[in-house]
Amino acid sequence: MTNSGKFKLERRLVLTIVLLPVAMVVIFVGDTVTDYAIAAAVFYTPVILVATRLLPAGTVVALAFACVALTLLSFVLTHSGAYEVGIVNTGISIVAIGVTTYLSLKLVAAEAAAHESRERLLRMARITSLGELTASIAHEVNQPLAAIATSAGACRRWLAQEPPAIANAQRAADRIVEDANRASAVIARVRGLASGKAPHRERFDFNALVREVVALAGERGERSGITVRLSLQHDLPAILADRVQVGQVVGNLLLNAVEAIEAKTGGAKTLEIVSETEDRNRIRFSVIDSGAGFRQGELEHLFDAFWTTKKDGVGLGLTISRSIVEANGGRIWAETGRDGGAIARFSLPAGMGAIE
Amino acid sequence: MKPQPPTGKTADPTVYIIDDDRSVRAALEDLLASVSLRAKSFASVQDFLAFDLPGAPACLVLDVRMPGQSGMDFLEHMTEYGLYLPTVMITGHGDIAMGVKAMKDGAIEFLTKPFRDQDLLDAVHRGIEADRTRRLREAANADVARRWASLSSGEKDVARLVATGLLNKQIAADLGVSEITVKVRRGHLMRKMNTRTLADLIRLLDRIQPT
Repeated sequence: MTNSGKFKLERRLVLTIVLLPVAMVVIFVGDTVTDYAIAAAVFYTPVILVATRLLPAGTVVALAFACVALTLLSFVLTHSGAYEVGIVNTGISIVAIGVTTYLSLKLVAAEAAAHESRERLLRMARITSLGELTASIAHEVNQPLAAIATSAGACRRWLAQEPPAIANAQRAADRIVEDANRASAVIARVRGLASGKAPHRERFDFNALVREVVALAGERGERSGITVRLSLQHDLPAILADRVQVGQVVGNLLLNAVEAIEAKTGGAKTLEIVSETEDRNRIRFSVIDSGAGFRQGELEHLFDAFWTTKKDGVGLGLTISRSIVEANGGRIWAETGRDGGAIARFSLPAGMGAIE
Repeated sequence: MKPQPPTGKTADPTVYIIDDDRSVRAALEDLLASVSLRAKSFASVQDFLAFDLPGAPACLVLDVRMPGQSGMDFLEHMTEYGLYLPTVMITGHGDIAMGVKAMKDGAIEFLTKPFRDQDLLDAVHRGIEADRTRRLREAANADVARRWASLSSGEKDVARLVATGLLNKQIAADLGVSEITVKVRRGHLMRKMNTRTLADLIRLLDRIQPT
């Protein structure tokens, strides 16, 4: 995995360092030896187009200036053909180089912005719905809790009086019981809300779902220089589960893995995604990352609500993942990988027969 | 609700509670009763505004999130209703920004539910004390204003000039009256304003005329 990553990087470098200048020299020579009437300098534009895909904006601009300089130099060195035509062609070439540079850089910036906003949208959908949900649950539960704490304070004060105001204290205690019941009713309602939506189970091709999610998350991995390896068992049986929910879990695990890899400095950046049959009736999915793995004692808290190692995490991603997997008849767990990274796995029941 | 007329006498203090949650209201009323504080609670800002406030020292315990007008909103616009109640904000889901805004809008305390009963009682006691002081000051100011109103216009003229430090002779020349008249008016006004020294008079005049 590491080797293929390095190889990719090297190929890019070779392309950038060798091919672009070679192309420029070829164009320069061509432009110089042909007469004024042949505007060979416009061929600098493909060079710019390729460069915008590979190089940072500043370098591209420098390259564009180099192309313009070469065009002018060719014009000075060329002596054959009609001089006026030469001026016009050189002008056209320079304008073409400038316009190409400007437009292609704009395009790259727009693509980056679009990508960024899409990612933000995904994250916001994940965070805000959780944030709002927890805020309203907190408010609902805090009301009776506040009443309980206050009544308890009153009760204590009634009892501390000389002589103790027993009847008043009793009334306060009754209110405490009432409010405690109310708080537990709120909790029961929330649980009902969470579990009330029964998963809509259907048979579907799990590998196809994984590929879809990887395509969504893969771009980010690529930007972070992560080598993603998919090893999906090709004759995997179809599974019987809620496709949307399982997709959420897969996405959550991938995002966690990518974040773990990004957080670690140095070392290999690899993400391995595996699907396989666990036994006749179950399939197993694993996400193996090269992040820093788990610290002592982290493994047992991983699925706890509101427990997180991320700086601005909510601590509900894996909790929700677990409830989804379990609601779909599966199991989710985590392990430490051979090279210290984290492995997140879940298994789900297979539907009968493979998807045709 | 009318703005309460400022009175000098100290009636029993009252704590007003505005919270949409019935249990919280009942618990707060009971807690305040257990320390012998009179409380009156309301389910909404609207109910509270419909109530005629007696002129006694008071403190308001106000919930942030309520259906209808929110506590935050009411706190911000309370002075527009002629209300100057020291206010303790309570909330089920507070954050720092909300707390800062509440304090800027004049709340004396911002408590997150569930709060410690002692914290609430401390804040309420502080609020009542602040309101009592304000009422006494207002009553004294009203008294001064009443005395000032009882002066004749000639006496008011003399009082203003005396306060600027002029001598009787100069005042007489300024107003075009005899020095005797100035002395007589000066005697009257000192008696009516219930002051003996010039310094006292200037202090009183400062209260009614901020200029």
